Amino acid sequence: MSNSTFEAGDITLEQVREFVWEIPQKGDMHAPARVLASEALLEEIREDKTLEQITNTTHLPGITNYAICMPDGHQGYGFPVGGVGALDAENGCISPGAVGYDINCGVRMMRTNLTYDELQGREEELVDSLFANIPSGLGGGGVVEAGVDTVDEILARGVDWALENGHAVEDDLLHCEDEGMREGADPEKVSQKAKDRGKNQIGSLGSGNHFLEVQRVTDVFDDEVGEAYGLEADQIVVLIHCGSRGLGHQTCNDYLRKIEQQHQGLLNQLPDKELAAAPAGSQLAEDYYGAMNAAINFAWVNRQLIMHRTRRVFERVFDRSWEAMDMHLLYDVAHNIAKKETHTVAGDERELYVHRKGATRAFPAGHPEVPAAYRDVGQPVIIPGSMGAGSYVLRGGKHSMDLTFGSTAHGAGRLMSRTQAKNEFWGGDVQDELEDQQQIYVKAQSGATVAEEAPGVYKDVDEVVRVSDALGIGDKVARTFPVCNIKG
Amino acid sequence: MGFELRDHTADVAVAATGESLDGVFAAVADGLAACSTDEIPDAGERFSLTVAAESREALLFDYLDELIYLRDVRAELPVDHRVESISGPTVESANGDDPTADPPWEVTATARGVPLAELDAREVKAVTYSEMRLENVADGWEAYVVFDI
Repeated sequence: MSNSTFEAGDITLEQVREFVWEIPQKGDMHAPARVLASEALLEEIREDKTLEQITNTTHLPGITNYAICMPDGHQGYGFPVGGVGALDAENGCISPGAVGYDINCGVRMMRTNLTYDELQGREEELVDSLFANIPSGLGGGGVVEAGVDTVDEILARGVDWALENGHAVEDDLLHCEDEGMREGADPEKVSQKAKDRGKNQIGSLGSGNHFLEVQRVTDVFDDEVGEAYGLEADQIVVLIHCGSRGLGHQTCNDYLRKIEQQHQGLLNQLPDKELAAAPAGSQLAEDYYGAMNAAINFAWVNRQLIMHRTRRVFERVFDRSWEAMDMHLLYDVAHNIAKKETHTVAGDERELYVHRKGATRAFPAGHPEVPAAYRDVGQPVIIPGSMGAGSYVLRGGKHSMDLTFGSTAHGAGRLMSRTQAKNEFWGGDVQDELEDQQQIYVKAQSGATVAEEAPGVYKDVDEVVRVSDALGIGDKVARTFPVCNIKG
Repeated sequence: MGFELRDHTADVAVAATGESLDGVFAAVADGLAACSTDEIPDAGERFSLTVAAESREALLFDYLDELIYLRDVRAELPVDHRVESISGPTVESANGDDPTADPPWEVTATARGVPLAELDAREVKAVTYSEMRLENVADGWEAYVVFDI
């Protein structure tokens, strides 16, 4: 098996072992590229420019070991979605393009003690109330409308700001990476334009593939970890998927343009302008890192405000306090991010900017950066699926540090373009079918969004998770299935 | 002359043509509006904008970036784009190497801002440089731009 190959047009992948494929280093590549996938997933991955893009990523200075494509990888811009690139923090670079536009786009899951039985019959009331109270879509405003001073505080302090202003409880901070406040955030490095876009969007879902979903736990695969995460079969949970909205998008483009103006030399070495990177140690690298960390805080506050508002909606619908429904944050994961981390490379400790774009940090049990609440079992990883396919909770696997710089997949991964989806599906039909056949209640600002996010446009999330589990980078803990879904 | 929306796995691309540089800029901007909504109502007031940048491609990028920014801060979708003028570098500025000088390329345009409340629109997150092309061809100009959705 070790010498089999997979041909994908001009690119030949060599199999390293089961589910691990390598594109050998050649030409201007600074390292090989690796793709973690089954043959079934590779057949899908080869259909667009994913393999070309992961190969391009190896041209970034300081790329360490290899650029890695996760099992859910698909074509993005510059860096593929589902890409992990660890770039040396001393001699390498940091790339806004490899983080992506939606800085700290991510997912959080909140537990409840409600069971599916208790919710059945109330789905319509719940979905209507969520839709009415959680801002979504374009121009839908936010949970709070703020001045620029408030935006600055959010950028600097993250969820700590939400705690002080009554949108969070202490326990929420303990169940979020970095306790919901990224150090090194520098609001001054975020442009006025970015802040102007963000100030009316604090606590809002946005549109596209972002959503809030009420789900029921259908399976718990690992009882011990399931118990540590507080998950059991038939339980209702809430999943929230969104990011830093216009503030993050603007920050990315502001820095892409600055790189173009200040680091043309490095840019000219790269095969795709969208990979634009600032050399480690340069003023611009420092500035971007400060701005990105600030946008990370903004996104955490965004998801926190939506979660806290959801608690209020449940209180009204079920006529009891959210505390009585045990509505606590399980965990919050980022899947568009770069983070300075220390990893062991060929026996040496190295500081790396680990870029995860459409990939999720998945640190194993015992790692000091896993929050105390989960250090014995490993960091929770939340993998949202499509509307009809359900989602997974994994835990960081013991091989993640060796294979993927502590990362795994982030979702099902798109299979079909949005324009094709709109030709094949009609939003109203998708919505009716989900409700009639699967008892999933969907409410969206736009019918086109429902069509574009139809279950059929995504890869098989089961297969993505199977590969993650088999490789030991993210182990299956539980599976959930949608009950109510709201989107922009 | 005009635009077409092209397939892209996660995002949407606009392929546009114009008899002039002004025309192709406006066609890409109309393509951006079409990425956002299928039906454009007849509402809204026109407004104008001016954007400057250091090269022709950067000018297209910044013009589209500005339109997305204005959408969020004005709470209006800019549609029905007209590019009034695009000016390039003069001999002096092209030869100058003063980095603090004003960028030599400038576009002046107008658009009609349809209030977002009156639209069934989705969010285009950003313009990207990925695969971007802006080329002078035999019968005018061609552009290709991928937008992040």
